[in-house]
Amino acid sequence: MATLHVVSHSPFSDGRLNSCLRVLGSQDGLLLCGDAVHGLQKGSAAWDKLQQAATNGQLYALQEDASARAIQLDPQVKPVDYPGFVQLSLDFDKVNTWL
Amino acid sequence: MAKSMLIVSRQAPWSGPGPREALDIALAGGAFDLPLAMLFLDDGALQLLPSQQPAHLQQKNLSANLQALPMFGVDELFVCSTSLKERGLENAELALDVDRLDAEGITALIDRFDLVVTL
Amino acid sequence: MKFAIAVFAPAHAPSSRRALLFAQAALAAGHEIVRLFFYQDGVHSASGNIVAPQDELDVAAQWRTFVSDNGLDAVVCIAAALRRGVLNEEEAKRYQRDAANLPAPWELSGLGQLHEAAQLADRLVSFGGQ
Repeated sequence: MATLHVVSHSPFSDGRLNSCLRVLGSQDGLLLCGDAVHGLQKGSAAWDKLQQAATNGQLYALQEDASARAIQLDPQVKPVDYPGFVQLSLDFDKVNTWL
Repeated sequence: MAKSMLIVSRQAPWSGPGPREALDIALAGGAFDLPLAMLFLDDGALQLLPSQQPAHLQQKNLSANLQALPMFGVDELFVCSTSLKERGLENAELALDVDRLDAEGITALIDRFDLVVTL
Repeated sequence: MKFAIAVFAPAHAPSSRRALLFAQAALAAGHEIVRLFFYQDGVHSASGNIVAPQDELDVAAQWRTFVSDNGLDAVVCIAAALRRGVLNEEEAKRYQRDAANLPAPWELSGLGQLHEAAQLADRLVSFGGQ
């Protein structure tokens, strides 16, 4: 089973993204939304930790959140809008939001 | 066949209603005989410390309610070993009979459930 | 496909709006929403007493409109709601509180409704925190 993990907290002030990365499976997806997209900032320690997931094609970002924060997405990060988010939730077997 | 649910409880015991409300999801599901498991992760591991005295905070004893889990048919209980270690509790005796899992074990755990709620 | 959507955050949290937009997109794509379930601070997303500034989004009002327009089953967890002071007329009367602030179309019920929805749906998607 492949799980879509969803994280919306900033990795600089909160431990959720870190914990999620520790248990992220090789077939899983990770969608960053809300303040979690700050972790996609190049040069940040958070981005360093996300590199592997990005290279594996596992990393998604909610486009509206990246745009609102003027964050340039690395080409390996897949942007999604809401229809895309809905589809993603169906492409994976289940969704685990880190509330 | 019923879908299985894993409830991941991540908050420290006296941080607010979170831990109790996570437990309530498990107990409600147990009452309906659903296949459930609970994982105590990050600060959630702190809920398992024995000898807590919440009366000092005018709070009810969460431990006592956690003990009810097996009675409601929720006997697959886990704790993250890294979370315990980070908090200096690697060798602590825990208030509940739980299986310790490392990161790989947790990945596998999440994988085998139909539903996951992480709060 | 069938969705169960659970909301754990109040109306002013970005995640409440995000849940609403997800729900709207799900219906727009032709999917079905089996139930909306509001738990923990999510009960505040159902408050009828929110006064959003004129130039800001009124997410609570938008939730009500979305639920009514689409005839959705919208449940607020009664235990979580009572603890947080979100009461409908019946509960306000029962507990002798001055104000009821949970309007239609919201219904108060128990966690069993969350489990039932999760069992019936193809996906349970939760929104909360930030």
